[in-house]
Amino acid sequence: MTNDLMLLMPLIIVGAGAILLMIAATYDKFTHELAAFGSAGIFAFAFLVQLASCISGNVALFSEAFNGLLVVSSFSKAAGLIILACGFFTAMSSLSYFKQNSFCSSEYYSLTAFAASGMLLLTMAQELISVFIALEIMSLAIYILVGYDRKNVISTEAVLKYLMLGAFAGAFFTMGSAFVYGAVGSTKFVKIGQFLAANGFLQSSLMIGGAFFILVAFLFKAAAFPFHAWVVDVYDGASVPVTGYMATGLKTAIFAVFANFLVLDDTLHKGWINYLFYIAVFTMFVGNLIAIGQQSLKRMLAASGIVHSGYLLIALVAVSTTEFTGSVIAYYLAAYAASTLGIFTALSYLGGSGEARKTFEDFKGLAKKRPYSAAAISIFLLSMAGIPPTAGFMGKFYIITSAIDAGQVTLAVLGIVSSIISMWYYLRLIINMYFHEAEEQFNEPVLSSFAPVCTFILVICVFAISLYPIVV
Amino acid sequence: MFEHVLSVIIFLPILAGLLLLATPASRTIARFTGLITSLAVLVLSIDLYAGFKATGYLEFVENIPWVESLGVSYFLGVDGISLFILMAGSVLLPMVYFIFATKEKGYYANLLIVQGAMAGAVCAADMVLFYIFWEVMLLPVFFMLGLYGGPKRLPATLKITLYTIAGSLLMLAAIIYLGVSYHAQFNEWSFAMDKMAQLNLSGRVAAIAFFGFMIAFAIKIPLFPFHTWLPDAYTEAPTAATFVLSAIMAKIGVYGVIRFVVPVFDLEFARFAILLAYSGVIGMMYCGLAAITQKDFKRMLAFSSASHMGVIALGVFCMNLQALTGSIYQIVAHATSTGVLFLFAGILEERTNTRTIEDLGGIAAKAPVFAVYFAIAMLASVGLPGTSGFIGEFMIILGAIKFNTVIGVLAGTTLIIGVCYMLWMFQRVFFENSTARSENFKDLSLIEGLAFLPVIILIIVMGIYPHPFLSKITPSTALQFSQPQAIVSHAPATNAQDFGLTIEQK
Repeated sequence: MTNDLMLLMPLIIVGAGAILLMIAATYDKFTHELAAFGSAGIFAFAFLVQLASCISGNVALFSEAFNGLLVVSSFSKAAGLIILACGFFTAMSSLSYFKQNSFCSSEYYSLTAFAASGMLLLTMAQELISVFIALEIMSLAIYILVGYDRKNVISTEAVLKYLMLGAFAGAFFTMGSAFVYGAVGSTKFVKIGQFLAANGFLQSSLMIGGAFFILVAFLFKAAAFPFHAWVVDVYDGASVPVTGYMATGLKTAIFAVFANFLVLDDTLHKGWINYLFYIAVFTMFVGNLIAIGQQSLKRMLAASGIVHSGYLLIALVAVSTTEFTGSVIAYYLAAYAASTLGIFTALSYLGGSGEARKTFEDFKGLAKKRPYSAAAISIFLLSMAGIPPTAGFMGKFYIITSAIDAGQVTLAVLGIVSSIISMWYYLRLIINMYFHEAEEQFNEPVLSSFAPVCTFILVICVFAISLYPIVV
Repeated sequence: MFEHVLSVIIFLPILAGLLLLATPASRTIARFTGLITSLAVLVLSIDLYAGFKATGYLEFVENIPWVESLGVSYFLGVDGISLFILMAGSVLLPMVYFIFATKEKGYYANLLIVQGAMAGAVCAADMVLFYIFWEVMLLPVFFMLGLYGGPKRLPATLKITLYTIAGSLLMLAAIIYLGVSYHAQFNEWSFAMDKMAQLNLSGRVAAIAFFGFMIAFAIKIPLFPFHTWLPDAYTEAPTAATFVLSAIMAKIGVYGVIRFVVPVFDLEFARFAILLAYSGVIGMMYCGLAAITQKDFKRMLAFSSASHMGVIALGVFCMNLQALTGSIYQIVAHATSTGVLFLFAGILEERTNTRTIEDLGGIAAKAPVFAVYFAIAMLASVGLPGTSGFIGEFMIILGAIKFNTVIGVLAGTTLIIGVCYMLWMFQRVFFENSTARSENFKDLSLIEGLAFLPVIILIIVMGIYPHPFLSKITPSTALQFSQPQAIVSHAPATNAQDFGLTIEQK
């Protein structure tokens, strides 16, 4: 029991912290800066606890808490670490962001903590109802965060779109769970797996329908083709730190539960692998096509997020091979999170008041005026593009290796072709920053040094993850 | 001789370059840091050269496991093939700091990084490590070209970057395919190059992987028809970047073919060698003819460099000892002669503010030392007996005739084109009447003259007394040809028999 509680500790810390922050926010003296430090502290503490349990490692790999509703594995621990780090850096970059933008209140940080507790729960959930609850805890907090800038029309539009579509996805998920329950008589992943192993996937029409609905919900949240259309508008409408949080933390949680769902039910995985193949390919190429045409940096990053979902789907297609279960996905998520968070952290202090700098053109000549920031952004972009020696390269290397190892050579080559295409829009920003003359001064003072420091830490992370590739 | 000398040769320039970029150093400090670092690397390299025992196998090996679950390791070593490319880089690069005194900090810093990365690519004995250095060496060129290049630099930068990255990502897929095949056949993960020769590859996927490697290297060399990025990039790049691209980076493409393609894909290589050899010969002719018509001397040198790379690549595709040894020799000869020619072109451009051949004339009278140096480098480039260019080209043509008479004859006669454009250009720029732009041309200063002198001497020594160099190359090249036989013998009998161009029928 103590062991189970220890494993659950990060979730408890973040959840309790979120409630405390919410209560504290009712006091006027508790300014949003204090809340930022508070939430950063909570994330840091939970991160250290999680790290300690990762390092000690002697806990049973499949220790059961709460009657098997939640299961902690090394994969879920790694995903939890990524999510907590994302929360920490989001809090820090928000601190800098809200020096230049004024729509913040203390509840903002409480909501990031609530979202994180939902994400943590999601990585551990091994039962459909728990997954649904976790999904909703996370999503509700994120909906509010997306629309936090109430007076901004674009932000309001974004939240409306996301809320409507997200509600549909939630409904699909519950419907699917009900179908699966009808077929299996249980909502536990383990029981579903046993049922599939005994009866096969295609024997029960309830099972096919249920799995289809659940997959739709996951694909929607993971921004995969053909449920990707919301991504660009929503990411564009949300404020920079929230976009960064969605692109990293939320995606980590979704892919964690997606992998858990597919891996445990090996028959299910085999049944869907052909469809996942096409979904992965279309996700990559549609994402690329969207990204190429963008003028706004945030929209480009949103579209490139779709492409990265495609790479992760490659890993999901290949995930059943015994040697690579989960670790490839966790590694890629860590690499992707470090570079994406880095670029959003940099944007949170370079964007200017009211996110004045948006397009590629606005960043022309940045390297002349702010050489260190431009170098950091370039490193993040190169990591996202998968150029060595950055973390993104190692992540891509693992994914391609696992795909070829699983016999998916075509998928691997298509992934490579997709990353060749993606070079264009990543290089475009580097070219704008370095090879054009500056049209403005970029001289507004940086009011808080937290975001620049975090950017620097993330640069180190990008290299460290690559040079010490710890595979969980 | 200490243990980690290769690591120091690789990482000393990279760290110095990164340090320069990260600090607000002035131009002078940057130049002297670059100069001292590259001279230190030169000293280490000479030491390495002296300690090299020419066993044919990898020497100065460093092997540290890196990603143990996939068998990737930090594995370095040099043999007779890589040693000479490494030496070419170490000997040639210090000159740049002597000659170009007033460039920006980033110019010198990027030059240092590219030097380290190229050394890394040449010394790497693990495929993943090789790939990492291979990609890293493109980045400084990207920045140098984009920041300090000519007026039309942006399209040229994009072209070379996208072209090479497309090629190298395909190579990454091929590298991973080899690693996975090794795991499947020997039940152990490894990406070490020397182990890949044991692989038993056949079928269509192997042919695709072969082209994955081959296209990446063909783009870097560049081999016809993948040469279209070259004229723009070489012309628009700042002199030092052109120098690096032509003198060393292009050679690493040839090195890649020798190191990966020949031992691992011996069957595919044998099957497609004639096709590749023809593309080498066509590249020689096409680029040579294009060079004759150029009005811009830097662009002419670019085409001439591409033409000569065709000869070097041809030497590799002929699959015999003479041609391969000749290729390695020619790599050094071409690096010295063409590299120096590009530097001279940079000096010419800086002092006259033009690159058009017609605007110049009569420089020999104004600057006799410059003219003599230029003439020696130029004659080495066209392969005059007594210069370094002759030995390599002679061996390549000899091997080519052994391989296929038609190709040998075509290659031999094409060399004449090289003489045409070079001598014609020399006549127009250095003789005839002087023009307004060349009237006040200053000769090389003492420092510049002394900086170039060792390389000029090297060109002549290599032409007259090639034995000490050849004796270090031959054991490794001989080993290249002793290995494939063993593999062919245990390769599936069906594949061993259809050596012809049968892939289309399947």
